[in-house]
Amino acid sequence: MHSTRAVGLAPAFRQAALRPRNVARNAALRNLFVKRSIQTESFTPSAEQQILNQQRLSRPLSPVLSIYQPQLTWYGSIANRFTGAGLSFLLYGHALAYLVAPTVFDSTHIIELVGSLPEVVKYAGKIILAAPFAYHSLNGLRHLGWDIGRFLTLKGAYASGYAVLAGTAVSTIALLFV
Amino acid sequence: MSSALVARSAFNRNVAAALARKSLRPLVLQARGAADYSYVPGGPIHRGTVNDPTPFPTPSKTHGSYHWAFERLLSAGLVPLTVAAAATSGTAYPIIDGLLGVSLVMHSHIGFDSILVDYLHPRKYPILGPFFTWALRATTVGVLVGVYQFNTNDIGLTELIAKTWHA
Repeated sequence: MHSTRAVGLAPAFRQAALRPRNVARNAALRNLFVKRSIQTESFTPSAEQQILNQQRLSRPLSPVLSIYQPQLTWYGSIANRFTGAGLSFLLYGHALAYLVAPTVFDSTHIIELVGSLPEVVKYAGKIILAAPFAYHSLNGLRHLGWDIGRFLTLKGAYASGYAVLAGTAVSTIALLFV
Repeated sequence: MSSALVARSAFNRNVAAALARKSLRPLVLQARGAADYSYVPGGPIHRGTVNDPTPFPTPSKTHGSYHWAFERLLSAGLVPLTVAAAATSGTAYPIIDGLLGVSLVMHSHIGFDSILVDYLHPRKYPILGPFFTWALRATTVGVLVGVYQFNTNDIGLTELIAKTWHA
């Protein structure tokens, strides 16, 4: 048949089914072939808003860190925030502690306490302080480079990122023996 | 049969239009009365429905470009300041020590504030967000006083770090 050449038999079947001769007289057939609608519900706007809010509460918060591929870009970024926040917590903590109890947290006590620690602990402490400081400073320079328009390509970001990591390693060792 | 189809779809259209008019009428009236809906392609946006766009803060140079420039200038200035403080001693050059203390505290405050804006934005946390913002401001004031006290009554930040490093 000519109608089957182009798209198949479905249009022909539909045509045959919907012709008055077949369907108008047969009530069951009429319902079978005509009812192709979807069931929809009608909500008031407040009910719609409630459904939407429930959906939003169940969604994970972007970025979904549990499935995001580890990359130098965002690992470096969160490391910058982490190191900065850590060093700032130290500064804030010491300043507030000195404000609250100046006789307990004054410099002589701190220097005495640090001096009395074993050598290994002192070296470990120096690494724990020097590495975040070095990384945050060098990554800060990288950020300032971005702000004046440098390193704003993928290659630039990765090259500067690796340079910062290398510089951090070198600087930490240098600060260890300064 | 096709005429029945046509009639049914026309009937459905009328029903749908009437229902839409009835359910959205109070909102339209409210919106028209408040005169705060805008015509965009696709129809007017009524306040309070699922079509609401994200609200944006009012543009302000103080919280926008000036804040950005100040933050970058401060960070850039910290580089020579830290080098200078490391090269000299805090007792010989107390002004550098004081400048470093204040700049470090300001830099930390801006950093903490961005953390709050990122993770505890007032738009999503209408109570916790502003609370922690003001708590941070109060803490920074306390830290500034503490840094001043330490630099005045004690040896100062640079000397402390230098002496502790070689303790």
